[in-house]
Amino acid sequence: MSGQPKNGMQCAEFDALLSDALDGNLSGQKFDNFQSHSRSCAVCGPLMAEAEAGRRYLKSLEPVEAPPHLLENILVATSGIDSFRLASAARAGGQISSVGDTWFDRLQEWAGTLVSPVIAVARQPRFAMSFGMAFFSLSISLSLAGVKLSNVRHADLRPSAIKRTYYETSGRVVKYYENIRFVYEIESRVREFKRATTPAEPAPQDQDKGKSPKNNSSEHQEQNQQRNYSQGENQPMLASSPNDPPVVMSMDTNRRYS
Amino acid sequence: MEDAQLAAMLVRRCVAGDAAAWEEIAQRYHRRIYNICYRFVGSADDAQDLTQEVFIKMYRTLKSYDLERGAFMTWVTTITRNLLVDHFRKSKQDRMTESLDTAASEHEDGMPLSERIPDKAQPPDAQVQSREVGQTVHGALQKLSPELREAVILRDLQDMDYKEIATVLKVPEGTVKSRINRGRAELARLLQRTYKQVM
Ligand SMILES: [Zn+2]
Repeated sequence: MSGQPKNGMQCAEFDALLSDALDGNLSGQKFDNFQSHSRSCAVCGPLMAEAEAGRRYLKSLEPVEAPPHLLENILVATSGIDSFRLASAARAGGQISSVGDTWFDRLQEWAGTLVSPVIAVARQPRFAMSFGMAFFSLSISLSLAGVKLSNVRHADLRPSAIKRTYYETSGRVVKYYENIRFVYEIESRVREFKRATTPAEPAPQDQDKGKSPKNNSSEHQEQNQQRNYSQGENQPMLASSPNDPPVVMSMDTNRRYS
Repeated sequence: MEDAQLAAMLVRRCVAGDAAAWEEIAQRYHRRIYNICYRFVGSADDAQDLTQEVFIKMYRTLKSYDLERGAFMTWVTTITRNLLVDHFRKSKQDRMTESLDTAASEHEDGMPLSERIPDKAQPPDAQVQSREVGQTVHGALQKLSPELREAVILRDLQDMDYKEIATVLKVPEGTVKSRINRGRAELARLLQRTYKQVM
């Protein structure tokens, strides 16, 4: 656009007034100047016609209905946060924020009725998986530690027996892998495995130990953060990493990034 | 403003521990947020995921929302917009990685929505179902640059005023107006190319 004034108005000024004009909020001398500029300027005239047409197209778009289960999913997802907070607060020493009490309880209770059957189903393969993984890791470490699996084959494979085998050999295993994280992983798997196979035991306090407390500090900066679509091309994904979705939510959503 | 007062009241009740208030907030705003997301990302699935993310973020930060500072809707829209930016950057990065992995994907999902806009030249007469026009406009919207797209969505689909939009996008009002002009004009050009005729 040229900076040349036409009919007492420059193209930049025309651009600034265009949206108001299309809203019908221009009047008097300003409107007259605007009109005559649009008639005489080869750039602004067509721009106005196109903007007007585009506005009409956009206005023709009807609001879409939200998917039928969206509201439910939102409530379930947000109450998932509640139960997590409750759990972590309990772990931290039984202190639940004063704001939460009643409404955390009520939401959790409400969500519990909705979610618990889902969780119950999800737990089965998870524990089956844990069992498999624990046994697999254990057998690898045992053979590496010099225990032949063929010797174990005829041994009692009841959970308690496996537990005993584990404790008997873990000393040796630790010597091999003293500084390797793997050991901790095996130990936590076996702990999980024990938990899964002994349901009569009281639930351990650290059931949610896989999840670390969420870092909320970034969210407070949220509103002041300047964002644009092109920045961060070669930045780490820090700014774009959302909080870990709660377990509940990720179960029924199919997250895609295309 | 009625709406703002109601929102402020709901937020206050919510922070005070009223679960019903949160339910009402979700009830009142989910459709609007879903619409913003849907018009911006183009796909219903992504819009649904993003809407959930918006509410999770809202829920976590509700206590930090300052009732005095600004309208609730502006705050909610800002959260939505920030997540849309994140989503856009993430999917752009994914698309780049994808194109490195596979030269040309036959998979339809791998193709950006912008290239799926129907190219059938249809006469814009009254008999063309408004639904089809809607689909075409929606498809064309996806072809706009994100800066222009968000501006026209907030103005023409969400009826926000320029000042609110400027707050959400954190740019001056003049920039907002200019983006709206360019967004509308660009959309009209895209659709005129599709229809090969001025509506
Ligand atoms: Zn001009």
